Amino acid sequence: MISNFIPGLIMIITSFLLPTIPQYFRHPAMLLSVGLSALSLFNGYGTFLEWDILGLNLILYQSDSLTLPFAIIFHIAAILVIIFSWHSKNLMEHMATLAYAGSAIGALHAGDFFSLFIWWEATALTSVFIVFAGNTNAAKDAAMRYLIIQVSSGVLLLIGACLMLYQTGNHNLVVLDLKTNFGIFIFIAFGIKAAFPLLNGWLQDSYPESSVTGTVALSAFTTKLAIYALARTFPGTDSLIWIGAIMTAFPVFFAVIENDLRRVLSFSLNNQLGFMVVGIGIGTELSLNGTVAHAFVHIIYKALLFMSMGAVLYRAGTTKASELGGLYKYMPFTTIFCIIGAMSISAFPMFSGFVAKSLIMSSLGGMGMVLIYFILFFASAGVLEHSGIKIPYFAFFAHERKNKVKEAPINMLIAMGIAAFLCIAIGVFPKYLYQILPYTVEYQPYTLDHVISQLQLLVFAIIAFLFLVKFKLYPSEIRSTVLNSDWFYRKMLPGIGKPLFKKIGILTDSLYKNLGLSFKQVLSKSYKFSNLSYIKVTTPSFAGTILISILFIMLVIVLV
Amino acid sequence: MKKNDLKSMGKSFTKYILIIGALLILLDFTFQRHEYFSFVEIYGFPAFFGFVSFVFIVMLGKWLRKFLMRKEDYYDQ
Repeated sequence: MISNFIPGLIMIITSFLLPTIPQYFRHPAMLLSVGLSALSLFNGYGTFLEWDILGLNLILYQSDSLTLPFAIIFHIAAILVIIFSWHSKNLMEHMATLAYAGSAIGALHAGDFFSLFIWWEATALTSVFIVFAGNTNAAKDAAMRYLIIQVSSGVLLLIGACLMLYQTGNHNLVVLDLKTNFGIFIFIAFGIKAAFPLLNGWLQDSYPESSVTGTVALSAFTTKLAIYALARTFPGTDSLIWIGAIMTAFPVFFAVIENDLRRVLSFSLNNQLGFMVVGIGIGTELSLNGTVAHAFVHIIYKALLFMSMGAVLYRAGTTKASELGGLYKYMPFTTIFCIIGAMSISAFPMFSGFVAKSLIMSSLGGMGMVLIYFILFFASAGVLEHSGIKIPYFAFFAHERKNKVKEAPINMLIAMGIAAFLCIAIGVFPKYLYQILPYTVEYQPYTLDHVISQLQLLVFAIIAFLFLVKFKLYPSEIRSTVLNSDWFYRKMLPGIGKPLFKKIGILTDSLYKNLGLSFKQVLSKSYKFSNLSYIKVTTPSFAGTILISILFIMLVIVLV
Repeated sequence: MKKNDLKSMGKSFTKYILIIGALLILLDFTFQRHEYFSFVEIYGFPAFFGFVSFVFIVMLGKWLRKFLMRKEDYYDQ
């Protein structure tokens, strides 16, 4: 029976039951539900559950070699988030987190666009409560914007799915291209969640506003679900190579000047997604393996970095670089874990980022794509700048701190410790990661050439940082807002729309005033008219109501 | 804790990084790296590229502040 149970569904059911579970047993129950859901990982490949409804065959549960690595890492991420939030008593957030993770896992196993749409919206509706749990006015506003964007993505997906069904008679998850109109709708729907250039504003807007623990959950699922969906439906789409390359390069500059370190990490997340998107665009077995491997390791080290900043926020009350520094003395374990995350994302040899990014770089090199190769090479120096150096430097070092703070709670340290362990273990023993990738490819990341060139790049980028700090050329942190693509709908559109609607309001007001008199006359006449006995409105009798209801139901049946 | 803890840490960190950097450049002379593109094989190219990219990113980012930076309460106004 368990083999037919949609993975993730047990987590959603448990999330609804959480209010009935005593406080002390909530986290164990959450872990148990993830464990039960994870049993599905041993089911093997195939289609396990279908549902015929309204003439449609929905594939609710299928699994293959692309699903499996994502399913494994989503379960691991869910476990990390639950452990990290063990100290928290925020019931709403726990429910939302568990249901969100469950929805994302469910989405991975959807075999058609309509099933995917249901899960797609479920991830949006559940995760918005996580943003909401930031519990500030800024978080509530960001949550509403987040909801609108996420639901819009779902609506576009639904339009694409309907068009596809209408035009081809097929609605299964198959490889699409951008020559069809439904392909474009679905591509944009995925592009919104994958934070394509100019569609990325929601990410940097909402993630940093969420709670200490919420951002960790958010960082893991939505965007990687989009990467999975793109890898499944648009592998080898050329435009993705350029889209991805732009995604790797541009956020780098924003991250340099951003003051909120959790927002820096959100820009960094965007940049990392770029590497994955490039891998999908190339579309070879090696590059798709690279994308999946990168998504896998990225979820762990990005969660680790967000956890370390969550711990800083929890203890120091802020993640603004301008207010932080010197925490290494008070939070030594968090500092070490953060540095491990920073070294992993920067792709130092022996850390997980190295063994994953190498696959994408090698596939680019193998295809002779010199320009894209250099953009990604350049972006690698950028990753080191914002995630490798800026995050640990400004949070834990930079200058001495006057106020003492405590080390992170033990549950946070355990979660960070597990993630840090995985970052190193995957970096040292990449073959275990490579074994679960979709395609069987023989690849050796640790060649002397590769290690030396990567170390040269990174070490000399660090020397550049030291040089800039020494000569006071490195920009100091300033409390500020950095404009991003959300500016278009937060400032520009209201800037145009508000005066426009105000003018329309004035026009309609004067129109009503002018018409008011004649309306009154008409009304008084109609009142007299309605009082005439032969047109007086009467309420139908009981039998009449039944008859009308039956007719209405018949009409609905005929229409359907 | 001494007041100059961070300074001394910074100094020794700089020292070790410079030593590692020098070793990496020296290593490059001992064998020919094989890369996908021939100019990456030039001695010390990744080091040069890393250094220049980093400085470029920081400097351009700093310049972009003129256009992209607003007050902290910009969206609340």
